[in-house]
Amino acid sequence: MSETETRDTATHAVSSNRGRSGGQRQLNIRNEDICVEIDQLKLWYGNDQALNGIDMKIPRQRVTAFIGPSGCGKSTLLRCMNRMNDLIDNCRVEGAIRIDGQEIYDRSVDIPELRRRVGMVFQKPNPFPKSIYENVAYGLRLQGVKKRRILDEVVEKSLRRAALWGEVKDRLSENAFGLSGGQQQRLVIARAIAIEPEVLLLDEPASALDPLATLKIEELIFELKKHYTIAIVTHNMQQAARVSDYTAYLYLGELMEFNDTDTLFTNPSKKATEDYITGRHG
Amino acid sequence: MTDAASTHSPGSGPTGPRSYMPSLQQRQRLRRWRAAKDWCGKGTIAIFGIGVIVTLVLMFVYLFSETAPIFGSAEMEAVGRYDAPGADGAPTLHTAMERYRQVAVRFTDDARAVFFYPTTGEVISEEVLNRPEGVNVTDFATGEARSRLVGYGLDDGTAIFLRHDYDISYPGGERQIAPKITYPEGNGEPLDVFAEEGYALDVIGVQRGGLGTAIIAANNEHEQLRVVLFKEDEDFLTGDVTVERQVYEMPWPEEGVEVTQILMNTTMRNLFVGGADGRLHYYDISNRRNPRLVASERAIQGGDAEVTAMDFLLGAVSIIAGGSDGSVSQWFLARNEQGERRLTQIRSFEPHGAPVTSIGPEHARKGFATAAADGTVQLHHATSDRTLARLNLGDEIEVDSVSMAPRQNGMLIVGEDGGFRYLDVRNPHPEISFSALWQKVWYEGRNNPDYVWQSSSATQEFEPKFSMVPLTVGTLKAAFYAMLFAAPLAILAAIYSAYFMAPRMRTVTKPTIEIMEALPTVILGFLAGLWAAPYFENNLPAIFSILLLTPISFIVAAWLWTRVIPAGVSGRVPAGWEGALLIPVVLAVGWFAVSMSPLLEVWFFGGDMRQWLTDQGITYDQRNALVVGMAMGFAVIPTIYSISEDAIFNVPKHLTQGALALGATPWQAVVTVVLLTASPGIFSAVMIGFGRAVGETMIVLMATGNSPVVNFNIFEGMRTLSANIAVEMPEAAVGGTHYRILFLAALVLFLMTFVLNTIAEVVRHRLRKKYSSL
Repeated sequence: MSETETRDTATHAVSSNRGRSGGQRQLNIRNEDICVEIDQLKLWYGNDQALNGIDMKIPRQRVTAFIGPSGCGKSTLLRCMNRMNDLIDNCRVEGAIRIDGQEIYDRSVDIPELRRRVGMVFQKPNPFPKSIYENVAYGLRLQGVKKRRILDEVVEKSLRRAALWGEVKDRLSENAFGLSGGQQQRLVIARAIAIEPEVLLLDEPASALDPLATLKIEELIFELKKHYTIAIVTHNMQQAARVSDYTAYLYLGELMEFNDTDTLFTNPSKKATEDYITGRHG
Repeated sequence: MTDAASTHSPGSGPTGPRSYMPSLQQRQRLRRWRAAKDWCGKGTIAIFGIGVIVTLVLMFVYLFSETAPIFGSAEMEAVGRYDAPGADGAPTLHTAMERYRQVAVRFTDDARAVFFYPTTGEVISEEVLNRPEGVNVTDFATGEARSRLVGYGLDDGTAIFLRHDYDISYPGGERQIAPKITYPEGNGEPLDVFAEEGYALDVIGVQRGGLGTAIIAANNEHEQLRVVLFKEDEDFLTGDVTVERQVYEMPWPEEGVEVTQILMNTTMRNLFVGGADGRLHYYDISNRRNPRLVASERAIQGGDAEVTAMDFLLGAVSIIAGGSDGSVSQWFLARNEQGERRLTQIRSFEPHGAPVTSIGPEHARKGFATAAADGTVQLHHATSDRTLARLNLGDEIEVDSVSMAPRQNGMLIVGEDGGFRYLDVRNPHPEISFSALWQKVWYEGRNNPDYVWQSSSATQEFEPKFSMVPLTVGTLKAAFYAMLFAAPLAILAAIYSAYFMAPRMRTVTKPTIEIMEALPTVILGFLAGLWAAPYFENNLPAIFSILLLTPISFIVAAWLWTRVIPAGVSGRVPAGWEGALLIPVVLAVGWFAVSMSPLLEVWFFGGDMRQWLTDQGITYDQRNALVVGMAMGFAVIPTIYSISEDAIFNVPKHLTQGALALGATPWQAVVTVVLLTASPGIFSAVMIGFGRAVGETMIVLMATGNSPVVNFNIFEGMRTLSANIAVEMPEAAVGGTHYRILFLAALVLFLMTFVLNTIAEVVRHRLRKKYSSL
């Protein structure tokens, strides 16, 4: 039952997105302003190599989707961009990632500041056990902002941008756990954008949500790309097709194909990509 | 239930593909077997669960039932009523019993001692004292109750004093008691007090002490007060006995004052005179040749009030004064703010509605009975400030005399009608009241009310002091200092090992700390009491510099490591192993502090810090809260560490990652998210640690010095409830007040831990509700 519902919503979303952005769909990576540059990135968990020499460029203020079967390394690649992989033991990285030309694996990089610039939203909504207000203000407080006026303003702006303001403005002091899963995920996005990141990494942001909440998140992503460079990992092919401008297909730690979304989905250059997106694989 | 469904299972279908499912019968059997196992499991768990609760409740009930009797009141039951034994019509002045209550004695107005059976009133024997013809008895006095000394004052200026004595023999295994009268000095001839002057002995007092037997007599007409000391001297050659007589004149309390009562204590240093003016006059007669009237205190309020009865309590320290207004009050000598010894009113008891006529002190406790002119008799206890029982003889019969049996299990009351009433008294625990346990009590011989625990002593006159406050405060003090030491260490260690430490290092560190729990506390206590306490005393500066320098040195070492040591060197230590680098730092700080200790003492503390503390007015005990705090802290660290480590480690990773992904430093993530989420666990860890410290026995027993003091001085010891039970239970008589109070201590301990754990659980649930991350 829920499957049909998903399909219905998905079709709807696709058509609406197409309708809005149909005119400017002539994308070419060569014309884009590049934000993140990944250069021969290799990564090992202990002795298992998870990424095998990734080379790609992520354009600014575009949505780049990463697709591929489970275990292909797409989440790992995402986590490399804000060095969340550092938290995993025995994780070793070679190669380079440059954000705005700055090498992020350099010793001199201040990791907390890097993570402020590269925000991340996880698969499972993870609000802190605090009020809605404090959740959104959390990042700013970390940066030492104490003035109530500034905090109020940023909280409102972020919640508005995350399309949550109307639903929570009367209960900002309530515990964030009182929100629904979709609201929590939008809250987490509001929390991430409150500290004005340049890049937003979304790791399967809608996979734990119901179709309606998924739709809202997708609409939000569409809005957010006006301000941020977005990288999104998803298992949902339709979602990738709906929300992204560019799509990268990863398989067994290698970048199989990277192209603008329309091209990749309608005219994949590799057989493996076509097999995957048509459901013959994975 | 699911039979219908199972018959349709594919296994039983004749046409279906070959199935590996067991047959229907097999599955039914299995299902029954599983149901039986479920049922057994459920039942067993329920039984054990209920069993735990029942055990707890039974423990509580047992403790309570052992404790409850101390709050009960006394019972008095009349078992005999008869006319005055001897049927002579002479008024009874005083009665007494021997310890087995087989024989009682009655002293009459016409100078006779009548021995009788207290249950029936049947006369055993009668002794007529040697009173000259035509001489009347003017007054009668008793010495301290246990001395069995009584004295008659006569109107010719002489006095007779004597003891009632009992020879106990066991012919044929049966107890026989033969009463007799003995004379401590002389042979029963009246002794001269005012004989030369010919003054009648209007009021007399009598007391026996180390110096001999003293008669204190007053003549109101001539306002003469005199102490006469009689001492028997035996010539060691001839064996002749002579009675030496020493006379000391006392100043009259005040002109025009009529003396009504006289008491002298057994050391013969203090003399108390009660007047018809309602005042008590205190004489210091330690120098009898130069007696001094120190002060006169108003004991009974009201213009025409009079001290109508007065007697010592056991030990002859406290005076109970009864007034014509029915008031009953306790007095003894205490130093006032100027340091002068003054007769001070300590407390007053429930008054009678009529003048107090007689006071019967107990022989082995600080209790007493009072009787009044309206026929009421009350049983009081001084320390506990309680009135335990009340009796009304009815018909407003004035009570002439009331006396307690030596084992305070009987009472003889004589009414003005000459009727005797003999009562059984059941008054096992008069010493205890809420105020005696939890409030400041003014104990005999002390200058102020205070919280004191002193359950036993070498002397029989001793007043047991059962204040729970020093023990409770001691328990809390020990637990407080232990927590002061243990909680920060354990929680910080838990944060480090759960959050920052490399997993391989953690697999070694955590079990190591947890296994410390298995260390018998008796070993910790032993080390603390016998090694640490003297070592701390001799190396105080070292201890304090270690406490101060260790954290500082950690910060300095961390700064050096991250800022000064080149990255090439520091990079070689894998992340999470940096903690191991602090081991040499700790050792170096310890060595440095110990070797600097003597120098510090010389530089700052005049060579000896312990002495320096004493000079600053700080009491220093060798076995003190510092030692206990560390030793017991050591014992509770594993508990707190283990629980809070689990709590911190179990904070969902997605929360910490969320914080880190927002640009938090690891430390910020810990403080703002991890600790918040783990707070219920950390809180219950601290409370369980506190509960353990409260109940801990062996360490406090061996390392506190067990002195029941009420303070929070880190350099003084304490006595805890648990250690007190361990120390005193072997010496407490089963069923006695002391025994039951130890049970009360156990109950208090039980309730303390119970309340602590309940609060901990409630708060933990609240916190968990608030900070639960799912």
